[in-house]
Amino acid sequence: MRNYNLDIAGYNIRFESEDDGPELVPSERFDNFICSGGKPDFLIRVHTGSFTFHEKTERVFNAPYVEEVNGLMMKKNDEFWSIFQYNNDLFLKTVFPYSGNNEEAVLKFSLSQSVWDLWFSSKSKGIDPLSYPLDGLILYYLTVISGDIMIHASGVNYSGKGYLFSGVSGKGKSTMAKLWDAFGAEVIHDDRLILRSESDGFYMFNTPVYKNEKPAKSKLDKIFLIEHGKENRIVPAGGAQCVSLIMANCIQHNWDKKIITRLLDSVSGLCDKIPASRLFFKPDHSIIDFICGNEKR
Amino acid sequence: MINLSIIPLRSPSVVTRKTGNEYVLVPVENNIADMNSVYTLNETGAFLWELIDGENNIEDMIEALIREYDVDEQTATSDVSEFITEMSKYLIIN
Repeated sequence: MRNYNLDIAGYNIRFESEDDGPELVPSERFDNFICSGGKPDFLIRVHTGSFTFHEKTERVFNAPYVEEVNGLMMKKNDEFWSIFQYNNDLFLKTVFPYSGNNEEAVLKFSLSQSVWDLWFSSKSKGIDPLSYPLDGLILYYLTVISGDIMIHASGVNYSGKGYLFSGVSGKGKSTMAKLWDAFGAEVIHDDRLILRSESDGFYMFNTPVYKNEKPAKSKLDKIFLIEHGKENRIVPAGGAQCVSLIMANCIQHNWDKKIITRLLDSVSGLCDKIPASRLFFKPDHSIIDFICGNEKR
Repeated sequence: MINLSIIPLRSPSVVTRKTGNEYVLVPVENNIADMNSVYTLNETGAFLWELIDGENNIEDMIEALIREYDVDEQTATSDVSEFITEMSKYLIIN
């Protein structure tokens, strides 16, 4: 197709390709997020061909390619994706580690404009504009523009209450989601959420990672910053500690003070409105009883 | 022994946010490997951070700590020295 719209976390994102441009072929995990048009919040125009940077373009942020090996993060390649800047224009350049070839893409974007351009060096007839890692990176910068938060967390809704369990890799997000799923809760996502402030409070949204996912949204009532423990224990977190613990689990590219300030403002606003606690938990269903029992007090 | 006449400055590459009587500090980084270095200052740390204004030297900070918290000079000197050392990433020390 030449164009389509996605509704992800309430952002209406339109992808367009011109007549002589590539065929757009979103991967299956976006199937349930395709929506029927409407006024887009963001427009991404997709092109094929190489992009030439201005000679004075500077790299402002770099992400090497790392993989987890036996629990350790090992750097596999110095070059994965980077952010560049020339005057007011920003550029994201990335390779595709799972594609097995040397293709790359360049996204020209801005934090003050909602029309972006995306070039793929690929000569394939079909392009998925949100091929990894572009999916997470594009969504991240949409949250920066919107003043929202993207966070490593699982989220569930049980009996109308939305609980967020946040932690980096290995802290138990997926374990927690599985336990609540077995208990009959609605799992919003088990790995990555977008948090948005609406007129009646904060909401959490899933981001498409797995095949057959459907859009999911829940009001957010409590935040738990999780770690495995020998016993189930809650320790309320507030003030600067709450802000810093949540920040540590947010996706953040801190190469620009304005970006950091926006995220700090958003996280501070979240901490002001949503109670947060550190949660040490045993990875069995006793944590469900513990949290539900705690709610009744 | 720390030089008491030094005037420490806040690094321009850090963003701060006051939350109640505490601070959250986030440094600017240009590499994703350097993420997760958010720092918090408790009330005493916040007090010392606010003294770093481009005019107070370390001796001034020690004296202010003595006055504010009614501690002896040795304790205040040790606290300020430790603060300056721990905060070196967020300060410019000439």
